[in-house]
Amino acid sequence: MYEFLKNLDRRWVFLMMLLAVAVPILFRAQFPERPTGLARAVFDEIEKLPAGSRVLLAFDFDPASEGELGPMATMVVRHCCEKKLKMYFIALWPVGPQMIDDVIHKVILSDFPELVYGEDYVNLGFKPGNEGVIKVIVTDWKQLYTTDDRGTNIDQIPMCRGIENIQSMDLVINVSAGYPGTKEWVQYAATPYPDKIRIVAGCTGVQAPLLYPYIPQQLPGLLGAIKGAAEYEELVVQKYDRKKGRQPAAKYQEAKRRMGPQLVAHLLMIGLIVLGNVVFFMERSRRP
Amino acid sequence: MKRTVPLLITAIVGFIFVVSFFTPAAEFLGELAAVWFDILAGIAFILGGGNLLKVHLKKISDRQAGWGYSGVTILAFVATLVVGLGKFGSPPAPKQEFYGETFATLPLEALPESLVARVPGQIPEKENGEPLPPSVRRQIVQRDGQIEFRGWMLSNQKHDLEEYKDRRAWRKTVEALYEAAQPPEPLRGKVAYYTDHRALSFKGAMTDSDRQALLALSDEPVWRQAVEQLYEQSRKVTRVRVSWLPESFAVPESLRDRLRYDAQTKELVLQGPLSADQRDALKKQFPDAEPLSAKQRTTFRKKLESLGRPLNDEQAKILDRLLSQPLPESVGERNKLLGLALLEHGGLTKEQCDSLFAPYRQEVAWRAKVLELFHAAHQVKYPWSGEYRAQGSPFWWLYEYAFKPLTATMFAMLAFYVASAAFRAFRAKNVEAILLLGTAFIILLGRTFAGVLLTDWLPDSLAGLKIDNLTVYIMQVFNTAGNRAIMIGIALGIASTSLKVLLGVDRSYLGSGGE
Repeated sequence: MYEFLKNLDRRWVFLMMLLAVAVPILFRAQFPERPTGLARAVFDEIEKLPAGSRVLLAFDFDPASEGELGPMATMVVRHCCEKKLKMYFIALWPVGPQMIDDVIHKVILSDFPELVYGEDYVNLGFKPGNEGVIKVIVTDWKQLYTTDDRGTNIDQIPMCRGIENIQSMDLVINVSAGYPGTKEWVQYAATPYPDKIRIVAGCTGVQAPLLYPYIPQQLPGLLGAIKGAAEYEELVVQKYDRKKGRQPAAKYQEAKRRMGPQLVAHLLMIGLIVLGNVVFFMERSRRP
Repeated sequence: MKRTVPLLITAIVGFIFVVSFFTPAAEFLGELAAVWFDILAGIAFILGGGNLLKVHLKKISDRQAGWGYSGVTILAFVATLVVGLGKFGSPPAPKQEFYGETFATLPLEALPESLVARVPGQIPEKENGEPLPPSVRRQIVQRDGQIEFRGWMLSNQKHDLEEYKDRRAWRKTVEALYEAAQPPEPLRGKVAYYTDHRALSFKGAMTDSDRQALLALSDEPVWRQAVEQLYEQSRKVTRVRVSWLPESFAVPESLRDRLRYDAQTKELVLQGPLSADQRDALKKQFPDAEPLSAKQRTTFRKKLESLGRPLNDEQAKILDRLLSQPLPESVGERNKLLGLALLEHGGLTKEQCDSLFAPYRQEVAWRAKVLELFHAAHQVKYPWSGEYRAQGSPFWWLYEYAFKPLTATMFAMLAFYVASAAFRAFRAKNVEAILLLGTAFIILLGRTFAGVLLTDWLPDSLAGLKIDNLTVYIMQVFNTAGNRAIMIGIALGIASTSLKVLLGVDRSYLGSGGE
């Protein structure tokens, strides 16, 4: 046994990981979620906005991290729709517009068809320049955004009239997978204008520890990875589905569904680390 | 010089940012510098593409190890670039297109003299020196006490002119000019001239009398050629194969002379283009859903149940509610809604589903055919106006079926490698490693329901020891403290390094090349 474990072919580990992820997906294993303070803070920040408030949704991620961030982006947009907020979508990542399109199709066009493009939501698309874009639009929006993603002049879009800069937004929601992302939004938007720009964010698991130093002054709420998304999902579903006696649609339970494979995969990781250490100590005890 | 210019740019821009951050009056300078930075960032994409080509072409040329992968990279890059920039297969933007119209190119200068309208009057001058609106500027002139307008005036041009000066006399002059600058009566509403597009346009299919009326306006060869071209194009015949027609099919009134169904070839035959309104009228070939009486609802339910299983109470209620209320949709749409609602609250047999969804399938198939005819008959004005990532375009295919799954797979594979690495390398070799291991276990468990499950039994007095609470504590106290210390250190380092860069002491970012 010792010899087998010592020389364990890594393909066995791969196989175990495959099963750990596949089995809960196939058996649709789901576990309850208990929202933590940070998820509740994100929920409250959106919840307290009156109908018609302006929300900037910056989707700075790509298909690589869609698995982790897609469900929270979906839920954030749904929450904004339920609250009847004005949504302004932008992206600092080149494939961000595709992520925005996905969410618009999944949530707005299918469940909130009464919302009108240009009056209730607008997609302003991608702009190159990373934090340079943030730095400009915090003081002068039209320096960079003269048209929307479809090429329509911004002055012809009703909901864009009267907006001078990001300070006109009531909340900025950033869903980010790295650079540029939440850190840049905090440094270049929230920090120089603490009384005017409020930001909440959702990010990948590896980013979350790096963003904790900004909580709560510069970043009142943070959804960390799929766990944060599942907690936030629970809060939104509780308020807008269960309290109204409705069963939430599967697309609004996506984060919770993805927590099943995460649980088993984490347990496997712990098991593998323990096993690796057993081998390590056995090896050390056998050493002359 | 090669190094001095970048050094100067860096120093000047750097100091501008510093000054503008601390001096509100100089904020605009920082903004200006940032806009330039964003423009350069856009150009950097081109440089990036060039660099990618250079690196990989060199690898292929040198036959270095893995040169085949470089070939694939270049192929993928070029394919994406070509289909993206060329917008191949992307439909034109609907708002940019003139559906229902055909065009012939004709410069403004080539418009015949008979198309110049004149009214007595004076173009007013604005106090602020503002020129005439751009939409009319090229067509309107002041000559011998008269205002001349070349071409036919569009309603938006009239509006722009009226807005130019808010005076009753001016509005009256504009009104008179608008009336004078209209096509002759038989052509009104059919023909137009778009100055910005340098094009003569015709709505629908041009008849022989329309053609004669247009030709009568001038004998100029350019004009005649444009009219003949328009005549040919507007009468183009489009055929779309349709194997069946809706039961209540009727040609809409506006298309009576131009659309017919050829029963022999089973084709819809259309002469000329379709406007959006005509398209919508043609689509609407199915009866609206009227609310059913109680008796009709019972019959409907019995018929549905006769095809399979009986409905449960919940389903019966839904059926009753949906069929009794007035719905703005067609029968197919209503039955589809009903079918989906019934499926949500219980089962249906295949036969029951088919019976409910069949009318909707027919409607969708018909709409698709109408759209096919609409696009086939349309003369595209701006083939590049569409979105490069429009659904169904080659770029969309590349993104959806290559880029998206490949990047997602790359990221997902991390789980496998991390698991293997954790098994082999995560060893409790010393105290620091043991601390790290312990923290990792708590966080791994705390980020799932397992953490709650394992320690939920702990009493409230020991709630702090619950794994989920421990996770939050570790993240908010130890992690935050450690990260803040690192960040403050980095910030100080950045400040000193930036100062060295701005003052030209540190020039390493310029590379190692000589002067």
